[in-house]
Amino acid sequence: MGSSPLPVTRTRIARLAAASALLLLTGCAKQGISPQGQEVHRLYVIIMILAAPVFLGVEAALIWCIFRYRRRDDQPAPQIVGGGRSLGVFFAIPAVIVAVLFPFGEATLMNIEQPETPQVQIKVEGFQWEWTFLYLNEGLFVAGKTLVRPAVMVLPVDEPVQIQLVSRDVIHSFFVPDLLFKRDAIPGRTTAFTFTPTQLGTFHGQCAEFCGLWHSRMTFDVKVVAPLDYQAWIKQQRKKAQGITCEPHGTTLSLIAHNISWNQFCLAVPANAPFTVDITNQDVGIQHNFSIYDSFFEKKKYFTSPRITGPDSETLNATPLPPGHYYFQCDVHGPAMSGAFIVKK
Amino acid sequence: MSAAEITDERVARGTSGPILGMVLFVASEAMFFATFFGAYFTIREASPTWPPKGIPHLEIGIATVLTIILVSSSFVLQQGVRAIRKGHARRFQAWLAATLALGASFLALQLYDYSQLGFGLKDGIFGTLFYVMTSLHMAHVFGGVVFLGLVFTQARTGQLSPSRHESLEAGAIYWHFVDVVWVGLYTVFYLLTPR
Amino acid sequence: MAVTEAPVRELAPEPRGRLLDWLTTTDHKKIGILYLVNSFSFFAVGGIFALLMRTELARPGQQLIGAHGYNELFTIHGTLMIFLVIFPILAGLGNYFVPLQIGALDMAFPRINALSFWLLPVGGLTILSGFVAKGGAAACGWTCYAPLNEQLGTGVDLWLAGLILVGTASILGAINFIVTILRMRAPGMTMMRVPVFVWSILATSLLVILAAPVLTAGLIMLFADRRLGTSFFDPAHGGVALLWQNVFWFFGHPEVYMLILGAWGVVTEILSVFSGKPIFSYRGIVLSFLMITALSFTVWAHHMFATGAVELPFFSVTTELISIPTGVLFFVWLGTLWKGKLRFEVPMLFALGFIALFLIGGIDGVWAASPAMDFAIHDTYWVVAHLHYVLFGGTLFGIMAGMYYWFPKMSGRMLSRKLGQWHFWLQFIGFNVTFFPMHILGLRGMPRRIADYAPDRGWSFLNLVATVGAFLIAISLLIFLANVITTLRKPRTAPPDPWQANTLEWATSSPPPPHNFDVLPPIHSNRPVYDARLAEARLTDRGSG
Repeated sequence: MGSSPLPVTRTRIARLAAASALLLLTGCAKQGISPQGQEVHRLYVIIMILAAPVFLGVEAALIWCIFRYRRRDDQPAPQIVGGGRSLGVFFAIPAVIVAVLFPFGEATLMNIEQPETPQVQIKVEGFQWEWTFLYLNEGLFVAGKTLVRPAVMVLPVDEPVQIQLVSRDVIHSFFVPDLLFKRDAIPGRTTAFTFTPTQLGTFHGQCAEFCGLWHSRMTFDVKVVAPLDYQAWIKQQRKKAQGITCEPHGTTLSLIAHNISWNQFCLAVPANAPFTVDITNQDVGIQHNFSIYDSFFEKKKYFTSPRITGPDSETLNATPLPPGHYYFQCDVHGPAMSGAFIVKK
Repeated sequence: MSAAEITDERVARGTSGPILGMVLFVASEAMFFATFFGAYFTIREASPTWPPKGIPHLEIGIATVLTIILVSSSFVLQQGVRAIRKGHARRFQAWLAATLALGASFLALQLYDYSQLGFGLKDGIFGTLFYVMTSLHMAHVFGGVVFLGLVFTQARTGQLSPSRHESLEAGAIYWHFVDVVWVGLYTVFYLLTPR
Repeated sequence: MAVTEAPVRELAPEPRGRLLDWLTTTDHKKIGILYLVNSFSFFAVGGIFALLMRTELARPGQQLIGAHGYNELFTIHGTLMIFLVIFPILAGLGNYFVPLQIGALDMAFPRINALSFWLLPVGGLTILSGFVAKGGAAACGWTCYAPLNEQLGTGVDLWLAGLILVGTASILGAINFIVTILRMRAPGMTMMRVPVFVWSILATSLLVILAAPVLTAGLIMLFADRRLGTSFFDPAHGGVALLWQNVFWFFGHPEVYMLILGAWGVVTEILSVFSGKPIFSYRGIVLSFLMITALSFTVWAHHMFATGAVELPFFSVTTELISIPTGVLFFVWLGTLWKGKLRFEVPMLFALGFIALFLIGGIDGVWAASPAMDFAIHDTYWVVAHLHYVLFGGTLFGIMAGMYYWFPKMSGRMLSRKLGQWHFWLQFIGFNVTFFPMHILGLRGMPRRIADYAPDRGWSFLNLVATVGAFLIAISLLIFLANVITTLRKPRTAPPDPWQANTLEWATSSPPPPHNFDVLPPIHSNRPVYDARLAEARLTDRGSG
């Protein structure tokens, strides 16, 4: 004789319903591609476990009252009022819920803020309306272009990443939904946070603090790759940067700023000769300037011009420089608006 | 209860409407100024040095005279309030006139002080805080002088009595408040700023 | 039966022209109606802006409005709804009914009352005039953060000028309400017998006195930075960008309680009337109102968790604490319904809808109260869902409850019950269809204040659903408008007390005479009209027995 099928009891149905409801509700929040994100997902579920009974309880009580106490006769209702004891209970119940909620929230906060020794350190700069990622240890940077292409932050999987976040103009916010995290980028104030991506893939990021006209297009991507691929990418980026070279053609340079980009990525002048730079700023209402440094680390400044507001042009006179591979940028927009400055014998 | 009895009962009850109204107005003004003081401490906290580089240290002399003028004007005004409560109309008017004179001299002296300072509104955060806060205060002193001037007119036309002089009481509350704000400004800009 | 004769005010000698009368009136009842007409007009404008935004967001891709236009729309939508619609409707209902409910002739300062009103349309139109200014209307969000607020065009100056006018109006109004409530109650009306709506207006007014000036100060700082060369918020010259947020939210959080307390007052009263029972704990309601008023000043930085610049545990604690007195309110409301004889007139439908929806709004805020969770949902559509569940599902449903409840008193006519039911159900369904999906959009990472989104985000379908809901809401509100217009054409047949209610406004005709009351019933509890009705019934019984 074969075994009888499992009895479908009411408790089983209830359990199934509750489980699927919970799954449905928890499924709404992202799982998180980092241990920190997963901690936050856990907190989401815990809060749901506390909130759902409150929600269901009160709504059920409301619906029950609506059906049970509908007026069916002309008798007056009993004029019941609650005394001090009821009031005490009314205060106690939410107090208990809050007392349970708070430690969980605090614990999660502690867990996601635990310091780790970062392997990758990236300075993230936001400005209207782009992101620039400066890889501090590797000495390279990645920029995007508003409305054209988002900046891509390539990261090695399973390595702690420290982000040093700052804004160059207004307040922006670095938000990656899959990390279940965001932090505001504030001008005049650098904030740092660390996370470890533990999942391969490309994840969407976007500015989450309204920052003006193209706030909706200030996007970026986080691309998590295997460590070998990360090393390969770094090598490739370095080669690209070093590969930028050009020949000097006289001592007058001409540069146009348009749509927060220079029209040239490589400038060259002969060594030990004074030179002039003609800057044309075509960006209406936007300030640019021209500066020469050792590199994007800005450890040594060789030349800087005043800021000019477009539309405008200016001719700058610079003193001679010894031969070398330098870096020029607009200080308002940083590496996003930069290039190589070659001084050749 | 007759209509007259109801009205009497309402009048007899505690602080009058206009005076309560002035107290509430002063409370709102206190929060207004508190915001600026909050801004002062926030900005000062974020600044590497205080006063910031390039700002000459403030001369305490004129400011102290200003403080004496305003604080004594509060005492003078309160004397006037006491005088009218006792029914000494002429004495009260004298005290009130003295208050107005002191108020006007405060304004004049502060304007003179502005012309002597070595920095302006646009000279960084110190200029921002100093001029915005003191000029808003000056506007309030001016408002107080106007208000008390109207009270003075009421006094001269015999509209105030020992038992009914709400506009004066209300004006006095406002004036003392403006005085307290000045003491706060003096403390913050002159006493708490290192020399 | 002893009655108290209310003092009779002398009527104006000659009747003035109708328009001139409305323009120069200092009668709190007329001023209350002016507030309502003004606010519902701005509501139409703000509502149309919402429909435009929802139409744009229904599909990915910029179809209808450009990015700048969209940014102007959400800024002015938020600003109008908060400052020109929700708050003034509560102030208007307060204007009309606070003096009546305390048995007074008028507000304490009738002429300042008129001034408070007239500043509103001037302020609102100033804000709107930004659309024709250089650079367009303010386009920085209703919170207009620094340093972005220093960049944009003249629209921002007009926005802040308009808000300074509106803020001044509210401070004057608050002074008026507090003095009226503390000094002009009828004999026998102690503070603990005052209707809960009056307590809610008192609490709101306290918040305004202490918080609105903070905004005014901030707006002056912003104006100085923009036009006078100061640097309060400019980090390049020693200013602090976050100072704006601290100032704004110190005002901003009490502000949101200014936007709901009045609705709590109305709904509590309506639940009591239509359950036929007293409020389950009058003391509990009053205590909760006062605790929330006080606590609202301690939570502001929970709007700034993601800056990394605020004391997270402190503000998390205070934010979670404020949910305790809020929870008490729900218990009292349920207790009031319990064992009652519920009558489902339209005011009651909206009051019950209010409980159902405000609950959701309150609960979804709890996720944001925990900083770690807030990092995920701050500045996303989760917050848009939350704020609309409390301001719309909460306050606006409460306001509609109040409108249907008090319309007969103000106009002498009963609104159509049939149309009211259609209005309620369409608004309830439309509201949930619009805003519930936004919780999910927020969890899926859709940020706020974006004019457009990419098709590969997984946000498209829910945005379409939300847009459908928005049009359902619009239809429901058109039904309300139709109800009001057709009802106003009917003759004035509403009795003094059509609902068998509790508070003093029902002891006079509908609408009341200019002097409010001919005769006041004796006041021995917080339900004088209920007591009088009971006494009358007992007399009739005795007479017939």
